[in-house]
Amino acid sequence: MDWKAIARSATGTSHKKQQLPCQDYGQFIICHNVILGAVADGAGSAKHSDVGAKLTVETALNELLQLGEYTLYLHCAPQPLPDEQARTIFANTLKEVVKALQEQAASSDYSVNDLACTLLVFLATPNWVAAMQIGDGFIVARLREGEDQLLFTPDKGEFINETTFVTSANALNDMRVRVLPGQQKFICASTDGLERVAIRMSDCTPFPPFFQPLEEYMVETSHPEQEDEYIRNFLDSERLNAKTDDDKTLLLCLYDDSKVK
Amino acid sequence: MPVGLPEFVENPENRCPVLLLLDTSGSMVGEPIQELNRGIAAFKEDVLKDTKASLSVEVAIITFGPVRLIQDFATIEHFTPPRLEASGFTPIGEAIDCALDRLEARKETYKANGIQYYRPWIFLITDGAPSDCWQLAAQRVREDEAKRRLCFFAVGVQGANTNILAQIAPPERPPIMLNGLDFRSLFVWLSASMKRVSSEKIGVAVALPPVGWGQITT
Repeated sequence: MDWKAIARSATGTSHKKQQLPCQDYGQFIICHNVILGAVADGAGSAKHSDVGAKLTVETALNELLQLGEYTLYLHCAPQPLPDEQARTIFANTLKEVVKALQEQAASSDYSVNDLACTLLVFLATPNWVAAMQIGDGFIVARLREGEDQLLFTPDKGEFINETTFVTSANALNDMRVRVLPGQQKFICASTDGLERVAIRMSDCTPFPPFFQPLEEYMVETSHPEQEDEYIRNFLDSERLNAKTDDDKTLLLCLYDDSKVK
Repeated sequence: MPVGLPEFVENPENRCPVLLLLDTSGSMVGEPIQELNRGIAAFKEDVLKDTKASLSVEVAIITFGPVRLIQDFATIEHFTPPRLEASGFTPIGEAIDCALDRLEARKETYKANGIQYYRPWIFLITDGAPSDCWQLAAQRVREDEAKRRLCFFAVGVQGANTNILAQIAPPERPPIMLNGLDFRSLFVWLSASMKRVSSEKIGVAVALPPVGWGQITT
């Protein structure tokens, strides 16, 4: 009766060609029966966005973890976090992320925009998940009784929507927050490198044949972080690279409640 | 533990619409119109060299005058370069209105089919001065530009009234005077620009290749 999770990123073929580093980053922290996860996609135009993405994810997770000591465990009860409180928590997370990026920029003598990246964060208990998204990428969640759900519709579709980054002036305004109540089963967070193969854009729905094998893999493996071959092979596969030349990240989480049944 | 691999959803290719707004008035007769025709053919040829661009770029052509939609939006593969002939007046205002309306209709089609699209380009090429009322059309262009709904380029060929073109073109993108009749270089540049745009994510600002085919008027 616990969460298990894995986070992996792979460099896109276009970045390899240009000898750019992977500008995606994903990580998670499991703490009792709560999981905190975050993924970030460094802006292609930002010089040090690989550093920015990693620092953003780490800062966001640490911030939520600290916060947890005071408020989080109180909410591990079946009652989901109220929307307003979720927004306050994530607004605070964003504030700390921006502060960390500013400090990093100042100490390395470059502009904070050189660290620009998107950010997707979630905080899940067995009974609800609260999530936020700034910029593109996607989070799909499946409740124990239910289908894959896309938590936020893609942050584009109209050319006038430029992707928002955590360093954008409108980041807080554009930050989307959602609390999904219900018994959690599977969560997949990803950057936009996988969006076009995983999400049907015409009606913004997750494509079940994409997510089912990933969930199945999470069910089958007891130690996903050690048994990562499947995910690494998939992210580096030619089949996938033929569809996307961007960096790609998968953060997969499964709540294993088999032992309580 | 035999686990299958994720399958991929087939999403339609992102579209990159470009609308050519071409002056085929009497003054273009002879060499200018022939060079223009060759330039358009070179455009098709050059875009086809790039797999991604040839799947994304969609071309439409409106000629004036009279104002006629001679090619509705089509992907490069389905686009046959026209043999344009020159005659008639220069109703630039009406032509722009027609182009903006056509573009809006196309966007509706994209939206209805869940197709994502890049900011459309309108490319106006003229060697004259408007023979109709152009002020309202110019205002529409500038408003749409300000809202980032399109990118409007005005290209003047020898004889063009650059003063009026500068009042139609958005202030941040002044008209460009073509070097002689070097339409070929212009269209190869347009193709190169489309390749850059279509290889990027939607919404990303792309640095365009340098304009080697004309002089930017300021």
